[in-house]
Amino acid sequence: MIRRPTKTCPFCETRVRFVDYKDDRTLGRFITDHGKILPSRLSGVCARHQRQLSTAIKRARYLAIIPYIRGLQS
Amino acid sequence: MTRQYEAVYVFDSTLEDAAITEKLGRFHGLLGNPADLQTNHWGRRQLAYPIGRRESGYYVVARFGAETATLPEYERAIKLDDGLVRHLITLFEHEVGAPPMTEEELAMANRRREAEEDEDEE
Repeated sequence: MIRRPTKTCPFCETRVRFVDYKDDRTLGRFITDHGKILPSRLSGVCARHQRQLSTAIKRARYLAIIPYIRGLQS
Repeated sequence: MTRQYEAVYVFDSTLEDAAITEKLGRFHGLLGNPADLQTNHWGRRQLAYPIGRRESGYYVVARFGAETATLPEYERAIKLDDGLVRHLITLFEHEVGAPPMTEEELAMANRRREAEEDEDEE
């Protein structure tokens, strides 16, 4: 039987209490090359932090800290 | 009721620093100049996408405790300000957010996840 490697939430590991929408470096780790929010099944983020993360990313996008879309040159 | 808020202002980068300080003073004056006001000037930085013709903005992060009744007037003044490109006022959630996970909770979450995976494999 093949065991899937267990992923632990990167936020829980570092004891993050609340995901900060101003921290573009951290948020940048959880968006794809196109700027989409990375699903938790790929990143291993727990449900509580994924909820906080998605709100944080949306706030950061509004403030032009991270882009809505990337890699699409017209 | 006093609550902790955090506001992020993105000013037009063509504004003089003195004009920005004056605007901030006016906004915070409407809140009654809170005693626990902390402002953090990030300065001019590149916007992640152009807003109108602007490519950069002057970011200021302010944290303060304010009476809920004073907020509508303050928000109205911010909305009407032409020099402000973007703004966001949020509850300072580090205060209200969930407590950090304890060692026990973390271990329990890991055990639960492993148990679920065992079920999947069967």
